[in-house]
Formats: sequence, structure tokens, C-alpha cells
Amino acid sequence: MNGLGFVWREALAGLRRNVTMSVAMVLTTAISLGLLGAGLLAVRTIDRTQDLYYSQLAVQVALDEPTSAGDANCSSPTCTGLREQLQGDPLVSAVSYESRDQAYQRFLRIYAGQSILQLVRPQSLPATLRVTPKDPTRGDALVAEYTGKPGVRNVVDQRALVQDLFTFLASVRNAAFGLASIQALAALLLISNTIQVSAFTRRTEVGIMRLVGATRWYTQVPFLIEAVITGVVGAVLATGGLVLGKLFFIDRLLSGRLISNAIPAVGMSDVLLFVAPLLVVVGAAIATATGYVTLRLYVRN
Amino acid sequence: MLRLENVTKLYPTSVRPALDDVSMDVDRGEFVFLIGPSGSGKSTLLRLLLREEAPSSGNVFVANWNVARLANRKVPKLRQRMGCVFQDFRLLGNRTVAENIAFALEVTGKSEHTIRTVVPEMLELVGLDGKSERMPAELSGGEAQRVAIARALANRPLVLLADEPTGNLDPETSDDIMLLLDRINRAGTTVVMATHDRQIVDAMRRRVVELHLGKLARDDARGVYGASR
Ligand SMILES: Nc1ncnc2c1ncn2[C@@H]1O[C@H](COP(=O)(O)OP(=O)(O)OP(=O)(O)O)[C@@H](O)[C@H]1O
Ligand SMILES: [Mg+2]
Repeated sequence: MNGLGFVWREALAGLRRNVTMSVAMVLTTAISLGLLGAGLLAVRTIDRTQDLYYSQLAVQVALDEPTSAGDANCSSPTCTGLREQLQGDPLVSAVSYESRDQAYQRFLRIYAGQSILQLVRPQSLPATLRVTPKDPTRGDALVAEYTGKPGVRNVVDQRALVQDLFTFLASVRNAAFGLASIQALAALLLISNTIQVSAFTRRTEVGIMRLVGATRWYTQVPFLIEAVITGVVGAVLATGGLVLGKLFFIDRLLSGRLISNAIPAVGMSDVLLFVAPLLVVVGAAIATATGYVTLRLYVRN
Repeated sequence: MLRLENVTKLYPTSVRPALDDVSMDVDRGEFVFLIGPSGSGKSTLLRLLLREEAPSSGNVFVANWNVARLANRKVPKLRQRMGCVFQDFRLLGNRTVAENIAFALEVTGKSEHTIRTVVPEMLELVGLDGKSERMPAELSGGEAQRVAIARALANRPLVLLADEPTGNLDPETSDDIMLLLDRINRAGTTVVMATHDRQIVDAMRRRVVELHLGKLARDDARGVYGASR
């Protein structure tokens, strides 16, 4: 189709005509999209981490020494009483009992071959009632209710323990999205301005086009393509930036001993298969919309 | 071919209408001079025919198009069938003569093949065969206007509208351009030309429509410039 060739040539000529502005426009778009991508990666990491933990997270009601000792299936009156009370609690969806012996076996499995095993004996581990709350965020209510009951050593909401981690990840996400939207505004204004300048530069040409009966495809689409190219190139640069960021920053950060067990790594596939296509689509869509609105508002067709 | 029915055009910023209840008809193949003092509404009339402006009231018809009521997306089709040239030529300074003519074909979606055959035809028609690779800055005024005419005719319009096409040319060059327009008209294209040039109008002895303060003042089948004043 000849029209396609024309539109492409004009769009590229437009970008070349004002290289300084085009570069500024592409870089601003890239930074905005890069921050958006970082935010999306943070969201993905949060989801993953939550998946990893939340299924296993429970409120642990640890029993005291007399109640824990030698009770293989929660048959002592104190334990049975506690279990029935928990089962009847509207906040609770399930209760299971882990005896001191089972706890020890699990401990042996988890820390197989590590020196800590020599320090732990079955007697130092409590029997526990593992409580799955109906609403995982309401673990605190259970903690308040069952702490100090007869037979209870302590109550721990495991979710509260990892909450700090999620709070940190969420603030990374919010900061990224916040900066991304400010930067996106800058990108929008730059794209809009560039199109206006571009349209002004080409006003004679466009005037002649209109006079000889060119359709809007010829008079306006070159400007939109300019915007789309900006969006897509910006997205590609942003993806490149995220790949570098992953290799040289996130990977190093997460390879620390402590964190590496707690947070699943950000995979290259997250960047290339999940975030990159989104950035291309978002970049192109926003640029096109900006271009369209600009043409509508400022450029006679 | 062209028809105005009680057309009034009032620009938002002015009190006196630029055109005031003007009615006229132009048949296929006619040559019409549009004359009148500065500000009498000649350019406005041409702009209404091209749908560069819409009338405040009245109807404008070009061939089968009801121009004033035409949907925006159909305006390009109308303009493809109307050629127009101006006093200031309006060529693209960064394209050669041939490219300027090709431009009109390219942006209206004509094929490479059409462009390759039509451009030389047009160059020959306006007598610029040897100058296809010149840039507009390397042309005389008369040559530049020939390129503009070639571009206006490239899409084989039904009507050629000319707004003071000889306004920037010396009398001799103007005569050459008039010979060309006359030849184009005799080949079948309807021509409407706004002009101030008494000599040209008197020499051609064609239909003369005179506007005065936006009103139709005179319409002579074989008129001269100064008959009524
Ligand atoms: N875009 C516009 N906005 C407001 N008024 C306009 C506009 N264009 C033309 N006019 C007014 O309309 C009237 C007719 O103008 P027009 O350009 O049609 O005259 P003309 O006959 O072509 O004059 P000239 O011989 O000087 O070219 C004038 O009074 C002019 O000031
Ligand atoms: Mg005029």
C-alpha cells in the first residue's frame, strides 16, 4: 500500500527533523516506562512472596511445657478444651495439632545436616495448635484472645512476622508508580509539544495536502506514528534498563543470605515476557492517545 | 456544475457579510472571471466551493455534492475533483518540480505506476518538460505557476479554481498563463478565476461575474472589466 510508505517516511522525517526533541521525548518516555516496569516487577514479587507464604502462614498457638509433654494427639483436657474453643471460634477456619514429636521430626527435616541440630532436643520444642484464620489479616484478634489462656505458652501470628517485608516491597512499588506517573506526565507534555511543533513545521505541506484532497490518513497519521515510535522505542529502552537493573542491582541485592530465602528471585522471564510486552503496549497506547488528543485540540485537520 | 443558492457568508469577526445573498450557476466547461474590488468576497466564494469555509446560509453545490452539508470525511473526495491555484503558487520548496506534482497524486493514494505516467503528462501539458528536476527556487514566477497548475490538474479535476493566478506575474508572463488556462478550459475543464487584471479580462471576452461588497453586481456572458463603473 503506497499510503503506508508515505506515512512512514513522513513520520521518520518528522523525528529526524528535530533530533534533540525526539531524543528528549524518547528518554522521558523510557524513564517513565522503566519506573512503571519496576513497579510491576515489585507487584509481581509481592504476589509471588505472598503465594509462597500465605498458604503456609498460620497463627501458632504454642502450648506450655506441661501440656506439650507426652501428648501425641491432643488428648489432655487442657489441649482438647483449647482445640474445641478454637474450632468454635468464628474467626477460625481450621485447626490442626502438631505434637512435640512431630515438631522435632519436621525440624530434623528442615535443618538436615546443619549444626543447629545439635543444640535442639525434642524437649525444647512446644506442641502447637496450628490455626488457619478465616481472614488472614485478622490474626491479631486471635493473638489477643488466646494469649495467656491456661496451657498456652504464647501465640504467634506468622503473617505479622513477614509483614515488614511486604510493607517494604509495597513501598518500593508505590514509589515506583508515583515516580512513573510524574515522569509519564512529563512524557505526555513532551510528546504533545513535539507534535505541535512538528505540525507547525509542516503546516505548508499539510495545507497543500488538504487542498489537493488528502484524507486524514495522510495529514494526521504521520504525527501519530511519530508518537507511536516514541512510545515503542521508549518501551524498548526501558526494558533494556530493567534487564540491566535486574542483573546488576536486584540479583545482587537478593543474593544476600538472609533475603534470598525470603523473596523469590526476579526472573529474566518476568522482565522479558511479562513486563516488556506490557510496557510496549502501554507506551504505544499512551503516546497514540496523546497524539490523537493533541491533533484534535491544536491542529486543524 | 457549480451552483450557489442565496449564499450568505458572515465571518464571526466581522459585521458586514463577506458574501450577501449570492446566487449563481456555472455550467460544465465554462470559463468565468470573478472580479470586484478588494474585499468584495471573491476569495470567500472560492473557499466556499472548496469547503474551506461553510456558508452562514444558503446552499453550495459542486457536481453532485451538497458542499455545505458534506460530512467532513467526504471533503477530501470533493477536493480531489477540484484543482486550485493561487497568487503565491504554494509549492513545496524542498521538492523538485516533478515531486511537487507527484505530491498531489501521492497523498491522494495514487499508485506508483499512475504517478510515473501522469507526472510527465502534466509537465508536458504546462510546457515544463525539461525542468522536472529543478527546485522551485530555481524557477521564474511564470514557471512556478505552471507547476502549480500542473499539480492542480494532476488528479483530473472537474473544476479549476484560480485565485488571482497572475497577481504576481508581469503582463507578458500573465498572458502565457492565460493561454494555458484557456487551453485547459477548451480541453473541457471548467475554470473559475478571481482577478484584478483588467487587461486580461478585456482580452479574453469570457463570462464576467462582478461582486461588490459581497453582493452580485453584474453577470455578463461575454463581458469586459470596467463596464458598469
Ligand atoms: N477569515 C476571515 N475572517 C474574517 N473576515 C474575513 C476573513 N476572510 C475574509 N474576510 C473578510 O471578508 C471580506 C471579503 O474578503 P475576500 O478575501 O473574500 O475578498 P477578495 O474579494 O478576495 O479581496 P482581494 O481582492 O483583496 O483578494 C473582506 O471584508 C474580508 O475582510
Ligand atoms: Mg482574494
